[in-house]
Amino acid sequence: MILVQNAIDAISLGAIYALAALGVGLIFSIMRLINFAHGELIMGGGFTLYVLTGEPYIVMAVAAILIVTVLALAMERVAFRPLRGANPATLLIASFALSYLLQHSVLLIFGSRAMGFDFLGGLNQSIEIGSLRVPGLEIAVVVVTALLLLGLTLFFKRSAIGIQMRAAAEDFDMARLVGVRADRVIAVAFALSGMLAGFVSLYVVAQGGSVSYKMGVNMVLVAFVASVIGGVGSLPGAALGGFLLGIVSVALQAFLPEEWRPYRDAFVFLLFIAFLLWRPQGILARRADRERV
Amino acid sequence: MLAVQDLHVSYGSVVALRGVSIDVAPGEIVAVIGPNGAGKSTLMRSIAGLVRPSRGEIRFQDSAIAGQPAERLVAQGLSLVPEGRRIFGSLTVGENIQLGATPRGDRRAAAADMERMLTLFPILKERFHQKAGKLSGGEQQMLAIARALMAAPKLLMLDEPSLGLAPLIVRKVYEVIAELRKSGVTVLVVEQAVHVALTASDRTYVMNAGAIVMAGRSAELRGTPGFEDAYFGAGPR
Amino acid sequence: MGRIWRFGKVEFATATAISVVLLLVVLAAGYTAPAFQRTVIESLIDLLVVVGLYIFIGNSGVVSFGHISFMAIGGYASAILTMTVQKKHVLLQLPGFLEHIQLPSLPAAVVAAGFAAFIAWLIGMAFIRLRGIALPMATFAMLMIVHVVAQNWNEVTGGRRALVGLPQFVGLWTALLGAVVALAAAAFYQQWRRGLLLRCSRENEVAAEASGIDIAKERLLAFVVSAFFVALGGVLFAHFLGTITANSFYLDLTFVTLAMLVVGGMRSLTGAFVGTAVVTIVSEVFRSIERGVDLGGFTLSAPPGLQEIGLALILLLILIFRRDGLVGDFEIGSIFFRRAKENKDS
Repeated sequence: MILVQNAIDAISLGAIYALAALGVGLIFSIMRLINFAHGELIMGGGFTLYVLTGEPYIVMAVAAILIVTVLALAMERVAFRPLRGANPATLLIASFALSYLLQHSVLLIFGSRAMGFDFLGGLNQSIEIGSLRVPGLEIAVVVVTALLLLGLTLFFKRSAIGIQMRAAAEDFDMARLVGVRADRVIAVAFALSGMLAGFVSLYVVAQGGSVSYKMGVNMVLVAFVASVIGGVGSLPGAALGGFLLGIVSVALQAFLPEEWRPYRDAFVFLLFIAFLLWRPQGILARRADRERV
Repeated sequence: MLAVQDLHVSYGSVVALRGVSIDVAPGEIVAVIGPNGAGKSTLMRSIAGLVRPSRGEIRFQDSAIAGQPAERLVAQGLSLVPEGRRIFGSLTVGENIQLGATPRGDRRAAAADMERMLTLFPILKERFHQKAGKLSGGEQQMLAIARALMAAPKLLMLDEPSLGLAPLIVRKVYEVIAELRKSGVTVLVVEQAVHVALTASDRTYVMNAGAIVMAGRSAELRGTPGFEDAYFGAGPR
Repeated sequence: MGRIWRFGKVEFATATAISVVLLLVVLAAGYTAPAFQRTVIESLIDLLVVVGLYIFIGNSGVVSFGHISFMAIGGYASAILTMTVQKKHVLLQLPGFLEHIQLPSLPAAVVAAGFAAFIAWLIGMAFIRLRGIALPMATFAMLMIVHVVAQNWNEVTGGRRALVGLPQFVGLWTALLGAVVALAAAAFYQQWRRGLLLRCSRENEVAAEASGIDIAKERLLAFVVSAFFVALGGVLFAHFLGTITANSFYLDLTFVTLAMLVVGGMRSLTGAFVGTAVVTIVSEVFRSIERGVDLGGFTLSAPPGLQEIGLALILLLILIFRRDGLVGDFEIGSIFFRRAKENKDS
């Protein structure tokens, strides 16, 4: 029974990690940019919720998702567009700087202490399914993620802009040569990435019950690891990487001996390194992970 | 239709094009030949908007286009089939062709063109739902051309369409190119295969070490004295 | 492959010029308030770390997010080697020989930095075959792992508690010495044959490999050497403050040191120096504004936290407007040889 309980925990955590990884992986597949500031998008969602405490949950949620989407678009326009075409090291450091900037701006305004408030508190109650007690939040997460993944799959397979994005992710220059508008594709990628970060922020707040300026850091690290594991340039891979990471995290938490529990994160990163050494291009990558010659 | 004047392009401190000028009149098939490293691909990429020239002018249909982004040029009727075909391997054949129509606003005309492509290249119709990465070299070349044609270009540029293809396939490719001229498309082709280029085109430019060293009507060029020197020589002094 | 070696007069002139500037700063600082002297010492240590970073990042073109963990390793190793036996007995639970050993400062520093370099060699052997984005991500993972371990391994590092009471032997002159040694090493490395081979791979990996350069081997060497100096920075840092705590060696310090490297220019030694100087000055300016600055009449002040925001903004602006940093590829030593070159060419 504990095993089934753990399995459900793993799937729901994996679902959130998958959403976070997709947000990062989308941008990376099209622009070769690792967006360190993705964590701050999650933070932005959290603080939007905080600022709107007391409003109906649905208002809070929709506002958070919208605001984070706008924030992502602003990020692209202001920070990343001027840097388009810069070498990977510059892009990496620039996104790191942006992340640092946003974190410390929020620190300045809201202070360093975590601030608790209520969002979807009711969902933390457990629902009885057979002989299992499952937190309502976990069920909600799995359902919402499934819907989002379905929506994204349809988007990328059926819509014109979705196909353009897949082409751009495979060969950006060639996509431009068939008329795909670089600006438009990148903007849509950031908008989607923001939307996904918005959903992740809903979960983080509902689960943790508080916000702080550092709340995005852990999630974004997970997102990187998951998207790299899943495979460079592969969106299904990012989702898969997220699920795997969720399962590994829960497994470690459940099966690590007591004295080693504080080192859980270190183990996760150790496994990540081991994975990189075994298969650096990721599980589902379709082509060599090598920068353009 | 296309007028390139005194084009200079550098990659950092390496000069790739030094003062290249070519002309393409509507309805022509013009070839550019030359040894490896002569700058032929750079010329194509600059015209197509992928590389910014440091000096010089490019006029397409009487408007200056040097420095404009590639996607805008496609919308204006300039399509490039780059070296190595570069079809989107993870997308299906159908999606590849459909992508070609990205800059067009008219859905119905685009759909009609899709039908035309499938008639012109029956192999693509057969493989419509397959991932493009699974096609053979020749089939991929057909796909790349079909994709470029979906944009209804006025000027179609091809960079080494015969590269890596068996002679029979190359012949088929150039048959298609000749057909295109009939439907009013102007063609500029870069070629390694000198014989094919001279046979298929009206006029030819010979490039070497970043500059044009010879030009003329393709039928006469081979017999012209100095032709071999121009092609194989060390370039302009 | 033929010989590609030349005596690097530009590089050594650069190192010398920078060292002279630092010497002047230290001499002048001797006459200022202790608070300002502390700032100078800190920035000298920062320079040591940044030059260490540069030896790897500047020559290989690969961004490493994990080098600060070598700073931690060096600092903790030196702390353990120099703390009194009684203190170690009370605060930590070390194996016998570590508990009873107590070295004077210089040997401890060298052993500690050497130990960090050894760890870098072990880790590097695994990492160095990674290509593309995988290598920076692996170094990032390394930072995370070392941080978690340092924070939780109570027996060796004291866990979340700071280790206090370390011998404080780092003053202006020690810090200067450390920085100068690092500058000399960096200058030597980038003009040395193997340093040049590595720089070739920075420009074009495929061409370098095709020319027979063993990129993995060159990167590993640079990784180890740079770890040594970054660790040395950690040693000086610990013995300047007199305490060491795991939290110092995490994302914030990683960001600041990378900013110092990139602002000046990742690709030149002069850039490492200029970047460190600019960031230090800007931080000081912001820090004063936070404290409140008297501008003849009214006080200009700002809430604490402005410093970090200002630094991040400046870094972003520099990356946008001068992608290769403030000085790009330029080495200050080259101005001494320009006239000779002009005479030769004419």
